[in-house]
Amino acid sequence: MKGIKAIIISLSPLAVAWFALFFGAYGVSPLMVIKILLDETFHLFEFGDIPEKAIIFDIRLPRVLLAGLVGAALSCAGVTLQGIFRNPLVDPFILGISAGAAFGCAITIGFLSFLPLQFIAFIFATLAVMIAYAIARFQGEVSRLPLILSGIIVSAFFTAMVSIVKFLVDPHKLQSIVYWLMGSFSLSDWRAVKISLIGFLAGVLPIFLMRWRLNVLSMGDEEAKALGVNVRRERILFIAFSTFAVAVATSLSGIIGWVGLMVPHLLRMLTGPDHKTLVPLSISAGAAFMIAADTISRTLTSFDIPVGIITALTGAPFFIYLMKRGGEEAWGK
Amino acid sequence: MLEIKDLSFRHKGVKEDLLKNISFNAQKGQITTILGPNGSGKTTLFKCIVGFWKPSKGDIIYEGSSIRNLSYSKRAKILSIVPQEHEPPFPYSVFEVVLMGRASHLGIFSTPSKRDYEIAEKCLEIVGIFHLKDKSYTKISGGERQLTLIARALAQQAPIMLLDEPTSHLDFRNQIVILMKIKEIAINNSLVILMTLHDPNMAGIFSDKLIVINSGLKIAEGKPHEIISEGLIKKIYGVEVIKIKFDGYNLIQPKI
Repeated sequence: MKGIKAIIISLSPLAVAWFALFFGAYGVSPLMVIKILLDETFHLFEFGDIPEKAIIFDIRLPRVLLAGLVGAALSCAGVTLQGIFRNPLVDPFILGISAGAAFGCAITIGFLSFLPLQFIAFIFATLAVMIAYAIARFQGEVSRLPLILSGIIVSAFFTAMVSIVKFLVDPHKLQSIVYWLMGSFSLSDWRAVKISLIGFLAGVLPIFLMRWRLNVLSMGDEEAKALGVNVRRERILFIAFSTFAVAVATSLSGIIGWVGLMVPHLLRMLTGPDHKTLVPLSISAGAAFMIAADTISRTLTSFDIPVGIITALTGAPFFIYLMKRGGEEAWGK
Repeated sequence: MLEIKDLSFRHKGVKEDLLKNISFNAQKGQITTILGPNGSGKTTLFKCIVGFWKPSKGDIIYEGSSIRNLSYSKRAKILSIVPQEHEPPFPYSVFEVVLMGRASHLGIFSTPSKRDYEIAEKCLEIVGIFHLKDKSYTKISGGERQLTLIARALAQQAPIMLLDEPTSHLDFRNQIVILMKIKEIAINNSLVILMTLHDPNMAGIFSDKLIVINSGLKIAEGKPHEIISEGLIKKIYGVEVIKIKFDGYNLIQPKI
């Protein structure tokens, strides 16, 4: 039963992506999507320059891929940080990544518009986590609770800085800042896909390879040490990889909440807490969920609703349902 | 043989030693128990041997070589630890918990192999909880959890096993079940077993050797029936007891 669930979840991104490719304002038939994809790879049909081809390759495919890669990164980082901090309610932004990215975005749009927005957002996201880590360091050791606290402090600081920028800039710029902060894939292109692929290969892939260690680390520092794990080193690695993955994702899409918290949580209930399967399934399900949420956000109305709103709107009631249904068990007790 | 040599410990910036020149050894196939009241230095000694705290003086030697400064993964291949039972944040299955004992044998980028699965299953059988394999670790009893942690320590395949008050949260029946199992494992797998216990009677009945500690000093060492006496108990616990000799055991009963 668990095996069947795992197979369905693993394959879900492909099914959702296919659906997302034919669904939209310009109708492309489901079969045509497959034909066009096959034609591009194997040159079977020789379509030439038809509009469907442009819609798929220039607009929908990069958007679907970007949404998938960002969703995978957020969900993978969520499950990793939940394991390390031994808390199923930790989200990938806990160490200040989102507030740092938001500040980078705000000053770039507000005052430094000659600089590349995504790069600056990435720099500040990473910087925020490094500051949080430095604050939490006592006598060369970094424990879990001080780290969560310093993450909250750093988040609060950068959030206040964002507010100052919002207060000072002119209303037009304010609008762009607010829109960016809500998270969206409306500006997807192949360049963004390539950058997010770097985040995936350098952040998500190493976590996937190290995933079983998360089981041991989640038992607590002393126990993991007793089992032969170099806790300090492995925790830094996990934090570094997930920070990189989330910082790249956030710099490309803005701040998209709920995915990194909700997806691993749901999977833990469906297929169990063992990180050996939980991490790969979180990567797949995160991608599938984000592609689905983005498809809804671009097709629900005549304009693009920021996808962050969709994830929050689906996330909140879904969580209430899980909480009421699962009771104590839903919280990993 | 595990040798503790002249071990002292003090916290950074504190003048007083919490442990003062403790020396003893523990033999293969035997249970050696550290006995002492709360605050005696029992836990400090345990943490120093385990490697969580660095001794300020002295050495820990196994089969002639020092294990004091080994890395965590090398140390875990020599010394396994059974902590007090507790609830992990995620409801892992009993089998997944036992499998964690293989961590020191696996590289950072690897997941357990078929061989690791077989070892974990064998350890479940040895401890006698194979039927709990797929149960959630958070849903079994305290005694069963303690047995799971013993199976996990066995899966480490280390020649020394340390147990931190393995019976502290258990009812009478489970205390006996756990201690009998530990005794069986010590003999069958010829492990060096070193544990801490609260109860002098249980310690006396199940141990081959007692190390009695008070105020960071070793007060007595030897076979239980040789060293347990009214005077010793009075000295470390400050209570009056009567010693009863029965069937080769020295038992103590509070004077009321």
